[in-house]
Amino acid sequence: MQEAIKIPTSLNAENSVRFLRRDEVRRMVAESAVVVVGRRGCCMSHVAKRLLQGLGANPAAFEVDDKCEDDVLAELRAAELPVVFVGGRWLGGLDRIMASHITGELTPLLKQAGALWL
Amino acid sequence: MNSTTTQFVPSRRMGLYEPAHQMSMWGDFRLDSPPPPPLMLEVNANSNNQSEDTFGASHRNDQEASKPDDKVLRRLAQNREAARKSRLRKKAYVQQLENSKLRLIQLEQELDRARQQGLCVDATQLAYAGNTNPGITAFEVEYGHWVEEQNRQVSDLKNALHSDMGDMELQIFVDGGMRHYFELFAMKVTAARADVFYIMSGMWKTSAERFFLWIGGFRPSELLKQVLSPHLDDLTEQQRLDIVNLRQSCQQAEDALSQGMEKLQFILAQAIADGLLREGNYLPQIGAAMNKLEDLVRFVIQADHLRQETLQQISRILTIRQAASGLLALGEYLQRLRVLSSCWSSRPRDVCVSKI
Repeated sequence: MQEAIKIPTSLNAENSVRFLRRDEVRRMVAESAVVVVGRRGCCMSHVAKRLLQGLGANPAAFEVDDKCEDDVLAELRAAELPVVFVGGRWLGGLDRIMASHITGELTPLLKQAGALWL
Repeated sequence: MNSTTTQFVPSRRMGLYEPAHQMSMWGDFRLDSPPPPPLMLEVNANSNNQSEDTFGASHRNDQEASKPDDKVLRRLAQNREAARKSRLRKKAYVQQLENSKLRLIQLEQELDRARQQGLCVDATQLAYAGNTNPGITAFEVEYGHWVEEQNRQVSDLKNALHSDMGDMELQIFVDGGMRHYFELFAMKVTAARADVFYIMSGMWKTSAERFFLWIGGFRPSELLKQVLSPHLDDLTEQQRLDIVNLRQSCQQAEDALSQGMEKLQFILAQAIADGLLREGNYLPQIGAAMNKLEDLVRFVIQADHLRQETLQQISRILTIRQAASGLLALGEYLQRLRVLSSCWSSRPRDVCVSKI
């Protein structure tokens, strides 16, 4: 039931690898105000991170190995990476955060989750 | 095309020889086929002479041993083979001519279209004409129609705004205008999957439009800054604030995408440059680069998505009449860019006289 998914976590050190159990994924997501889960080396998750950083947030980044991608997608019930969580709750993929930023919804959401201090 | 399956050609020689012999000999002479080129005539002429001889020979040596028959049969087989090869060569040549003809027609069409759009027609443009990608060819045709429809919509909007048309009717024009841009974005996604470099280089646009290119299209924040803001006079305070915020949000989203693009360029360059000056082939590097290029399509999609969201947000902020004016301004702006491209490419050029 609780399989081990190898997800290299990189907050600062790209080389540190931790084995996360499936339930831990959910916990990690819930712990941070804003989380970006992306494929390793993917430029799209870089875009997501940069956008959030540009707004003053400091997203926790989880990078997923190619081999684990399908498992993680299944666990998160997502179609594609990157995926963004705000305040422990699912927000969506890159489209969604772009769209919600344009409509002005994103900043209040981030403030509410304690990701912004302005 | 098999020389042994021959039409039964009646001849006055029929009565002289055995049917079997005659069939094999007449196999060489396809009198029902189109006039052959000189080479074939030569072969046939030779066959003719030889056949004359062989006719005579086999008639004379009917009862003799099989030795002369062997020679005869071998020569006939060689003739058949030569004739067959000649036919194949002719067929290949005609096929090549047909292909060249089609290519010529295609190039002429490209040239016409390019001239109409005021493109500077140079070798690089025609190089794309040689890239017979059906997805891109289809896109170019569709885009031609899109521009025509765009021009129609611009003049319709102009007339509508100058008339005393009510908001309900104006809404129809605004919705139509917005939908028209969204259709272009959908077309571009399909074309990007066919050839992402084509879209990224803005090859379907005129030269002046290409100057302002950002990830395969216009930059939303520039649209707000240059085209809309200066020309919408009757904005409320709230609207003014909303437009300012929207422009800032666009800028931030664009920056994030641009930084992602830079990273992609870096990764791509790294993949290509890996192992320079090393022995061995570089196919693995090319393969790695090809994989990374898949991400480029996603950038085109995200950039167009941003353009679409921006247009929709603008229509939420503005009144119907203001939105109609905004669409008209954008349409006219793009028209002017196309005219600029046309004028630029047809400007009188100074003749440079080199000093010898």
